[in-house]
Amino acid sequence: MYPQVFEAAKQVDQAFLVILGFCVFILLLVSALMGVFVWRYHHTRHPHPADIDGNVWAELAWTIIPTCIVMGLFWFGWTSYTALRNAPEGALQIGVEARMWSWSFIYPDGKRSAELVVPVDRPVKLHMTSKDVIHSFYVPAMRIKMDTVPGMQTYVWFESDSTGVFDILCAEYCGLKHANMISVLRVVSAEEYAQWLSGGAAKGGDDAKGGQLLEDNGCLSCHSLDGSEGVGPTFKGLAGREVAVLLPDGSKKREIADETYVTHSILAPSDEVVEGFDDVMPGYADSLSKEDVAAMVHYLLKGGVAAPPPGRAVAEEQGCLSCHSTDGSVIAGPSFKGVFGAERLVRANGEGEPRTVVADEAYLRESIRDPGKEVVDGFENMMPAYDVESLDDGALNDLVDYVESLAGGGQGGGKEGGQ
Amino acid sequence: MAEIPMAETPMAETPMAETPMTGTPDGGFWTTPPGRSTLGSWLLTTDHKRIGLLYLWCILAFFAVGVLLGLLIRLELIAPGRTIMAQQTYNAVFTLHGVIMIFMVVIPSIPAAFGNIVMPLQIGAEDVAFPRLNLFSWYLYILGAAIAVVSLFTGGGAPDTGWTFYVPFSATTSTNVNVAVLAVFILGFSSILTGLNFIVTIHRLRAPSMGWTRMPLFTWGLYATAWIQVLATPVLGITVLLIFAERVLGLGLFDPARGGDPILYQHLFWIYSHPAVYIMIVPAMGVISDVIPVFARKNIFGYKTIAISSLAIAFAGSLVWAHHMFVSGMSDVAVMVFSLLTFIVAIPSAVKVFNWVSTLYKGSIYLDPPLIYSLGFIFLFSMGGVTGLVLGGAGTDVHVHDTYFVVGHFHYVIFGGTGFGLFAAMHFWFPKVYGRLYNLKIANVAAVILVIGLNMLYFPMYLLGLEGMPRRYYDYLPQYTDLHVVSTVGSWITAAGLALMAWNLWRGLRHGAPCGPNPWGAATLEWTLPSPPPTENFGPVEPEVTRGPYDFKGIEREEVVA
Repeated sequence: MYPQVFEAAKQVDQAFLVILGFCVFILLLVSALMGVFVWRYHHTRHPHPADIDGNVWAELAWTIIPTCIVMGLFWFGWTSYTALRNAPEGALQIGVEARMWSWSFIYPDGKRSAELVVPVDRPVKLHMTSKDVIHSFYVPAMRIKMDTVPGMQTYVWFESDSTGVFDILCAEYCGLKHANMISVLRVVSAEEYAQWLSGGAAKGGDDAKGGQLLEDNGCLSCHSLDGSEGVGPTFKGLAGREVAVLLPDGSKKREIADETYVTHSILAPSDEVVEGFDDVMPGYADSLSKEDVAAMVHYLLKGGVAAPPPGRAVAEEQGCLSCHSTDGSVIAGPSFKGVFGAERLVRANGEGEPRTVVADEAYLRESIRDPGKEVVDGFENMMPAYDVESLDDGALNDLVDYVESLAGGGQGGGKEGGQ
Repeated sequence: MAEIPMAETPMAETPMAETPMTGTPDGGFWTTPPGRSTLGSWLLTTDHKRIGLLYLWCILAFFAVGVLLGLLIRLELIAPGRTIMAQQTYNAVFTLHGVIMIFMVVIPSIPAAFGNIVMPLQIGAEDVAFPRLNLFSWYLYILGAAIAVVSLFTGGGAPDTGWTFYVPFSATTSTNVNVAVLAVFILGFSSILTGLNFIVTIHRLRAPSMGWTRMPLFTWGLYATAWIQVLATPVLGITVLLIFAERVLGLGLFDPARGGDPILYQHLFWIYSHPAVYIMIVPAMGVISDVIPVFARKNIFGYKTIAISSLAIAFAGSLVWAHHMFVSGMSDVAVMVFSLLTFIVAIPSAVKVFNWVSTLYKGSIYLDPPLIYSLGFIFLFSMGGVTGLVLGGAGTDVHVHDTYFVVGHFHYVIFGGTGFGLFAAMHFWFPKVYGRLYNLKIANVAAVILVIGLNMLYFPMYLLGLEGMPRRYYDYLPQYTDLHVVSTVGSWITAAGLALMAWNLWRGLRHGAPCGPNPWGAATLEWTLPSPPPTENFGPVEPEVTRGPYDFKGIEREEVVA
C-alpha cells in the first residue's frame, strides 16, 4: 500500500493487519463450512435430515469466544487511535484553513501557502478550521484524517521520517468541486524548509506577488485566469468589466469592476454577488493583510492576463457601451455578448423582409462601418456610421476582436491577441 | 390446520389457458370484488396482501431507477475526468441514488412489502390491526416519493448534498434541499405508521395457539424492526425539519457564527440513520431464518437465540450511532465509547450467521433458488460485515473513513444483505402470491451471476479505500484508475444478473407452472392456505398451531419442484 514514514501509521497498519486477518479467518470459516455442508448434506447424499434443535454449549461458545476476540480487536483499534491523537510537545505548529475548494496553510511567521511544506523528522501539529462548510483533511500516506469544522478548531499531527511528496485530499463531501480539493504535502530537509520559509514571497515585484497570493489563497480554484467558466466569475478581463450584482436584500445593481469594487469583493463577497453565481465565497477580511489585498487587486486590474483587451478601451471611448451591453442585457442596441458566430435576423435599411445572416467578422465590420445596411430585426435604424475618420482600422480591429471575445463559452477567450 | 392439506390444490384445477393473457393469476385475493373496478379495487384496498404488492411494485420500480443511477455513476468513474456527465450532474446523481435507494427502496423493501404480504398469514390473522391506516401509510409513501421526484425538477435544481444532508453545506446550497427533506419527512411517517401497525398486529392478532416461541423468525425480525421504526424515525423527522427551519427561517441551530453547532446535526442524523441500517437488515435476516430450514428440511439451529438476537441488534444498534463520527471533531472519550459499543453490536449478527450455517449441518439440502439467494446473503453479508470491524476500530477507521472502503462495506451489507434477502423473499413467496413457479434453473444462474457481479463491483472498492480514494469524488488521481475499471465492469455483470432474474420472474408470473399451496414443503401457517390465498385469509375459523414453525415432519415437497 503506502510506504510507512510515520510511527503512529505503523501502529495503525498493525491494527489493520490484526483486524483484517481476523476478518479473513471468519469469512473463510463461514464460507468453507457452508460449502462443505451444502455438498456433504445435499439431499442426494443425505436424504434423511437429523433432528437437531440447537446446542446451548455451542451457542455459548460462539457468543463468548467472539466477544473476547472483538474486545481484543477494539483494543488494537483504540491504542492505534491514541497514537494518532497524542502529538508530542514541541511540534511545529501550522494552521490549516479549508474552504471551498482549496487548502491554505499558515506558518508560524504568518506565511501562507497552498501546498503544505514541512521539515523531515520533526513532529508537525496542524490546527485546523474551515471558512465555510465541513471539509476533511486527509493524508493517506500518514493515515491521518480529521474534519475541519467552521467555528471550531480540530487538530492532527504527523512526523515523516523521510522526504517525499504525498497527496492531501478532502474526504468530506463539500459541494461542486469536492474532488478537486487536492493539494500536496512536501516533506523536505530542514535546510530546504528554512530556505523555502524565508524565500518566495515578494520576489519579482507586485505582479508576481499578487499572482502568488491568488494561488496561495485558493482563489484560482473557482476563478479562472483564461476566461473559462468556473464557480465564480473569471478574472480574465476583469478590469472595467460591467457586472450586475445582487445585494443581500435581493435588489440588483450595476457595478464597474474598479479598485474599490474588487477590494470589497475580496473582503466581503456576500455584500455584492455577481448575478448568476451562488453566494459561496468566504470573506477574507480577517485572513489577508491590507498590503496583500492591495497586491492582489493590483494584479487583477493592471497585471498580466487580467488586463482588459484593447478593444474594451475603444468601446468605452467611442461610446458603444451606452447602447450595447456586454452582459447580454438589451439597452438600445443588441448586446455584444454572444453576438459573434450567432445567427441574426436582419432587415436591409431596417425595412423589408427579414433574412438570416451569420454574425461573422465581416458582418461585424460592416455593422460598424455602415450600420444602416443590415439592421437587426426588432431594433431601430439609429446607430451612426463609424468611418475611417472616426475609427481607424487598428481601432476597428481591436473593437471587433473584443466583440468576438464576448462570443460566450470558452471559444472567444483565446482570440484577443489580435490576428 | 395442523396437517397440511396436501390434497387441496386449487390452482392445479385451473386451466392454464385462462390466465396467461391477463398476466395475473386467477382466484384468491386477486379476484376483483363484485361491483368494483379493477383499478379501484387496488387503490382503495385494505387487504394487507394487495397493499404489500402495491409496495413491492413501487419499490421495484424505484429500485430499477436507483440501479440505473448507480450504473451511470459507475460509468462516469470508469476513467478520471469527465466521462459522461458534468460535475454538478454527478453530485446530483449520487445524491439521488442514495435518497431513492435508502428512503424509497431499502427501508420499506422487506418490511413494507413482504411484511404486509406474509406476516398476517404467518400469525394466522385476518389482516393487520389497522387496515385503513395501512393503506394510508402506502399513500404517504407515494406522496413522499412524488415530492422527492418534484424536488428534482423544481427550485434551484436537484439536491447535491448526498443523502446525509450534512450541514452547513445543506443549509447553504442553492439546490432544492427544502423539498427533498420534506419528502424524507413524509416517507418517515409512512415508516413509523407501518411499524406501529405491525407491533399491534403481532401483539394482538396472533392465532390464540401461537405463543411467542411458536412465531416464525421472519415475524420476529419484523417485530424487532417495527420497534426501531417507531422509536428512531421520529428523530429523523425532527432532524430534517430542523434543516428546513435552518434554510427557510435562518434559525442558526447549526451555524457556528450564530452559536449553533454543525456537529449536533451529525448526532441527530445518525441517531436515526444508524438504527435505520438495522431497519434494513433485520427483516432480511428474518427471511433467511425462514428460508434456510425449509431447504435443509431441518429445524432452525437455536430458535430462541435467533429471535433474541434480533431484539439485541435492535437495542444495541441504537447505541452506536457516533461511530460515523470518529473524525468529526468529537471528543476522544466519545470515540472510545462508541468504538467499544460498535464491536459489541457485531456479536448478535455473528451469532445469527453461525446459527444459519449450523442449520445446514446434517440437513437434507435442496439447492432451490430461495436457498441459493440465502447462501449468497450469508457470504456477501459476511464479506461486508467483517469489514465493519475495521470501521469500528478507532485507529483503522481514521484512515478508511469517508473512503471507498465505506462504500464497499455498505453495499456489501445492504445490496448483498438486504438486496439478497429481498430476492430470497421474492423467490420464496412467489408461488404463494401467484400460484405459479418461475424457472428454477434460470433463477439459480441469475443468483450466481449476481454474486460474481457484486464481488467484482464492490471488492475493488475495499482496495481503493485502503489506498485512500475518498468517496463522492467526481474525478480521481490516476493511480486509482485500474480498480475503478474493474468495479465498473462488475456493475455491468450485476446489471445483467438483475435483468435475468427480473425476466425470469416476469415469465414465471405469466407462464409459470401452477403449483399447490405448499411447493417447498414449509411448515409456517401461510403455506396451509391455497396459493394465492383468499382475500379473508383463514376466514372465520382461527387456524390452530400444533407444530413449530420449522418442524417439517410429515410435510413433503410438491412434485412441481422435485
